[in-house]
Amino acid sequence: MAGAPESIVDRLSDGGPDWLATQRKEALASWASQSMPTSKEEEWRYVDLDFDIDDYRPVDGAGDPLDIDEFSGAILATSGRATVVDGWPGDVEPGRVNLGTIERFLDLPSVTDRYGTAVDPAQSIFAAAQRALAPGGLVIHVPSGVAIDDPVVVDLQAVTPGSVSFPHVSIVMEENTEVSVVVISRSAPGIDVLHIPTIEAFVGDAGRLSLTTIQNHDRRAKSVANHKIVLGRDSTLKIGEVGLGAGYGRQRLAVDLNGAGASVQMNGVYFGDSDQVLDYRVFVTHRGPKTASNIFLKGAVQDQAQAVWTGLVRIESEAVGTSAFETNRNLVLSEGARVNSVPNLEILTDDLQCGHGSSSGPLEEEHLYYLMSRGLQKDRAERLLVRGFFEEMITKLPVKSLAGPSREAVNRKYGEAQREGRV
Amino acid sequence: MADRPALDVHNLKVSVGDVGILKGLDLTVPFGEVHAIMGPNGSGKSTLSHVLSGKSGYEVSGDVWLDGEPLLVMDVDQRARAGLMQAFQYPVQVPGVGLGSFVLEAGAAQGIAASDMNEKVSAAADAVGAGPFLERAINDGLSGGEKKRSEIFQIVALQPKVAILDEIDSGLDIDAVRDVADAVQALRGPGVGIVLITHYSRILEHVTPDRVHVMMDGTVVDTGGPELADELEEGGYQSIRNRLGLTSRAPDPGTTDEGSTPFDF
Ligand SMILES: Nc1ncnc2c1ncn2[C@@H]1O[C@H](COP(=O)(O)OP(=O)(O)O)[C@@H](O)[C@H]1O
Ligand SMILES: [Mg+2]
Repeated sequence: MAGAPESIVDRLSDGGPDWLATQRKEALASWASQSMPTSKEEEWRYVDLDFDIDDYRPVDGAGDPLDIDEFSGAILATSGRATVVDGWPGDVEPGRVNLGTIERFLDLPSVTDRYGTAVDPAQSIFAAAQRALAPGGLVIHVPSGVAIDDPVVVDLQAVTPGSVSFPHVSIVMEENTEVSVVVISRSAPGIDVLHIPTIEAFVGDAGRLSLTTIQNHDRRAKSVANHKIVLGRDSTLKIGEVGLGAGYGRQRLAVDLNGAGASVQMNGVYFGDSDQVLDYRVFVTHRGPKTASNIFLKGAVQDQAQAVWTGLVRIESEAVGTSAFETNRNLVLSEGARVNSVPNLEILTDDLQCGHGSSSGPLEEEHLYYLMSRGLQKDRAERLLVRGFFEEMITKLPVKSLAGPSREAVNRKYGEAQREGRV
Repeated sequence: MADRPALDVHNLKVSVGDVGILKGLDLTVPFGEVHAIMGPNGSGKSTLSHVLSGKSGYEVSGDVWLDGEPLLVMDVDQRARAGLMQAFQYPVQVPGVGLGSFVLEAGAAQGIAASDMNEKVSAAADAVGAGPFLERAINDGLSGGEKKRSEIFQIVALQPKVAILDEIDSGLDIDAVRDVADAVQALRGPGVGIVLITHYSRILEHVTPDRVHVMMDGTVVDTGGPELADELEEGGYQSIRNRLGLTSRAPDPGTTDEGSTPFDF
């Protein structure tokens, strides 16, 4: 397609509902008032972006989809599958959930009232561009009282060289519902693309959402993800993250614990190599009383890779009886690799339990000595330790069938580096 | 040859920075024998064990042979594969590495066939009550006593030529001491030399050592038969110091340990 963003917005909105056209226009205005972030801004500290949205072209339709990958292949029983290529929803295999593009849900106020509202376009130029230029997104709607075990698998693919794409996934859960969603983001091998996905989720009272995100882009891709989840009373959220990255792979995740008794548990792994930058920004806001958060990610970097993890957990004054924990542990496996790990708690009440921890460093000499003292060769002992480091998180990933491919993916990165003498 | 040495240590000197820890230690342990090393805290027993295992961070001189092979030139893992392993006094917790699968790998590293190793693992686990730990990460959440069982289990399963058991009996209740002692007895045999480091004679009630070495301030100061352990039991290290006319090590400034004056013999 191409053309100016204004004309793209007009074309996307043509024939669609007014409220969506308005959303896009407002986002467009916000976009025009913002510029590319710099590391001087708190949220973008530690990274220097060497690209611009304008370097990439929006496309007016999906390219050829990729073959199934090892992650979606590992999930045999699903409650629905959908593929989104270059931001455009393609094949949808509905299962027990209501799964389809927004056009299918225009008569459902609980969807239309919420769709596109979670992420504020003013938050960054990427958020604004995403809201302005996302084609009609994918909606997962779970009607009141419905609980579904098997995951819904969403495969976000970027396949057209030089393109910027804006996938949008909106999860709307009514009261007392349960669903598991796996979102895989990836791109065709060897191509330079910019991927700007948003997942928004609205979890109704007593809802139970399990959300697993897998970032498995090619090293030439850039990905700037902006996700937000809003939780109602007594609802629970489990998040699993597997970050294998992109050249630059950012994930900004905001979780709002709005309802009393809401909780979030996040567990994840990431592994950066070559000159990858994996950039995690996690924001948890406790608003409801008796809310709980437990965020725990483990990552490794080697070669010249960089990992950034900033966690900001804010506990509002009305969130009494809250518990909030965040931990980030990193293995730094080569001299040239680096980590910026900054956990933060902002506490406006004194009735709470909380804690945070962060560490970054090489494999422990004492551990190596122990394993080698029973006869294991050094490289083998190192592989066991790297595997063991991640294992604690891998076993906590909410979708059990993803443990295998996740474990393999992180171990493969280290094994390859060892064989090539890079670590 | 009955008294072919499994382990032979000559004039071993070890220091960390300016601090001398082992000061010319000699020790010969023939195959088929159990040698107890007894010594007060700080006399260098664990340092000896770590230096024999090849831990880094020490300046080392002297000669050590493992079944006739020079040991000190080997890396940590080579020493283990050549047949020297220790049960650690303070074993670390290794997150995410399961004990059972680790020991199977260690067996494979020694070239033991998987089916044989499986058998050795279950037999050893039964013998020392380590079965419940096999599925867990190494030492993850184990009590002090359980860690000792886990350590002796590995040694029993891997059957080294030289087993260094560093305070395998400390922190154990009576029953556990008996279990561990039984394991040591079972380990005992013509193909292995055992170094049993302890500072209590408790375990020696169950495992009668062939030789007892008393270690103080970085050297072996006395060697004898099992009766030496009895002397220690009765008179403590002071009795040995008195008999040998030794002063104890210079005290740290400010300590008032009664055995620390130069006039205590
Ligand atoms: N890495 C080290 N650096 C400095 N001093 C050490 C080190 N390891 C041991 N030591 C010192 O060496 C002495 C012997 O310690 P150790 O071998 O642990 O004794 P034991 O096992 O007999 O109680 C002690 O005084 C101890 O403080
Ligand atoms: Mg000791």
